[in-house]
Amino acid sequence: MLRRVPAVAVAVTTLALPPLLSGSHLTVYILLGLAVLVTVGLSLLMGYAGQISLGQASFYAIGGYTAGLLCVHGLPTVLGLLAAPLVSAVFAVVVGVPLLRLRGHHLAFATLAMQLILLSLVARADWAGGAIGLQGIPRLSVGGYEFADDLSYAYLVWAAVAVTLVVARNIVGSRPGRGLRALAGSETAAAASGVPVGRYRLTVFALSAAFAGLAGGIYAFYLGYLAPGSFPVLLSIEYVVMAVVGGLGTLWGALVGATAIILLVQVLNTLGTQPGMPDYAPSVLSYAVYAVLLVLVVIFLPHGIVPAVRDRLIRRTSVAPEGAVVGRPVP
Amino acid sequence: MSDFLQYLITGIGGGCAFALVGSGLVVVHRVTRVVNFAQGSFAVIAAMTASTLLASGFPHGLAEASAVAVGAGAGLLVGLVAIGRPGTPPGASLIITLGMAVFAYAVEVLIWGDQPRSFAGVPGAVEFGGARFQAHYLLIIGATAVVFAGTGLLFARTDVGRALSACASNPYAAKVVGIDVVRMGLLAFGIGGALGGLAGVLVTPIQLVTFDYDVTLIVGGFAAAVFGGLTRPMHTLVGGLLLGVAQSLVAGYGNAAYQMEVALMLLLVVMMRQAARTPAAQQEPV
Repeated sequence: MLRRVPAVAVAVTTLALPPLLSGSHLTVYILLGLAVLVTVGLSLLMGYAGQISLGQASFYAIGGYTAGLLCVHGLPTVLGLLAAPLVSAVFAVVVGVPLLRLRGHHLAFATLAMQLILLSLVARADWAGGAIGLQGIPRLSVGGYEFADDLSYAYLVWAAVAVTLVVARNIVGSRPGRGLRALAGSETAAAASGVPVGRYRLTVFALSAAFAGLAGGIYAFYLGYLAPGSFPVLLSIEYVVMAVVGGLGTLWGALVGATAIILLVQVLNTLGTQPGMPDYAPSVLSYAVYAVLLVLVVIFLPHGIVPAVRDRLIRRTSVAPEGAVVGRPVP
Repeated sequence: MSDFLQYLITGIGGGCAFALVGSGLVVVHRVTRVVNFAQGSFAVIAAMTASTLLASGFPHGLAEASAVAVGAGAGLLVGLVAIGRPGTPPGASLIITLGMAVFAYAVEVLIWGDQPRSFAGVPGAVEFGGARFQAHYLLIIGATAVVFAGTGLLFARTDVGRALSACASNPYAAKVVGIDVVRMGLLAFGIGGALGGLAGVLVTPIQLVTFDYDVTLIVGGFAAAVFGGLTRPMHTLVGGLLLGVAQSLVAGYGNAAYQMEVALMLLLVVMMRQAARTPAAQQEPV
């Protein structure tokens, strides 16, 4: 029962917060939820399947453009929202079949290449708005209820976060989840123990793409405008930073990492736009924050914030019998 | 025909930059097993430094040399962070160098702003077989040839080079015979920084450089390095030149907008081919 307390506390807080937030804070809250959605998928991919992706923003973009394009041409917005994760996942399967033969830094560069190709194709596709962007995306409406104000989008995003977290949790706890963990440790050993390595890798890749696609779909309806410039390579790197800082392979890590980074960047942004600060201050500060946090966490907290805090809590609260090993075994 | 010759020469010039960045990746990867994501940043930092020095009255040559030295210093710094703490696995080091590349953005925007920069190279144009091109291309090609010959000699003929190669083939055995593996790794990062810096200094007169130009360079450089399996400098040179020529032919006869895609598709194809030839068990980190 005690284990549930943090989850309930977080759920209550997320539900209670939106009405208390002012306009610009609510926007940050919505964008935070979107970032969590993408990061949960990336954390699954990097932490459980051991695959690095530097192109996660491309799935975000695909979800956004799918929803945007369908609804600009008059389809019901619900269909657009449902299609966004689906199309992203299908795209991930199609590119994943050749790409996932690669490992480690090769895969990192391959996913980066995928995003660069996608961005430059979109920028030249006139039917998708080209470099100027896709405008006039309608607001989401479900069965007569229109998601018109920011408040409704805040609840929509965080409902999506809840669904994603539950889905991810069930996968991690299932038998395939254990297979995934095994293949992150050693692919050869996992394959020898009967884990269908190729299929699992592809499934997690597609799942992480679906999460990102869902976030992209909501983003499209929320903003009503999409451009290739909204999905730079740096955005993909931001997601990696959030996943690594929070703790790879822990679902809470995605939440904590995204929250920590977004809030910190927001604070620095406010600081950087103070009168008297040079106009490049906000971008310099945010680059520096991503970089410094990423480097410090990788060097000093290699497992990320959440595992580090959890281990410390477990060590403090449990009265361990003599000689018992508590917490994460030291490798 | 003269068109073709012109595309060929401009392509080789552009390819030299990829080859230099790629060989920096190779030097670092051979010795430390780290893929240095910040390799493209050294080029940008050196290019920006050179433009500032030239603007403040330094003579050509001295400005470029100082810029390359700054690149080497940046390489050393990245190396210190990436491998300075003992026991950092190469996978974590990749993430650290990624972070350092983003940090370089902060430094570059802070010092030089986000506008593109360029400076004059070798003046004049050369006519050769009916093709007309900037004389600067000859400097790029010549300098690259000298540098590749020099690094070849360094690795094959000098004690330091042999020590670097020893760390590359077996770090444990290298440690046993008294080679300081970490120091050699840092030296490799320094050399990588200088090579990246040289690429930046050479390419700036023919190509505007912005702070995020490093993505283009690192992707092209990685494609060149992958051509040599991330270990063979001469293959990297060939890979870089092929890439540059392919890009310039596509730009010349087709559509200049598709240059980037050519590099990226080439990178993907080469990696797939290599992955298909290597069994999964050999690709796992040891």
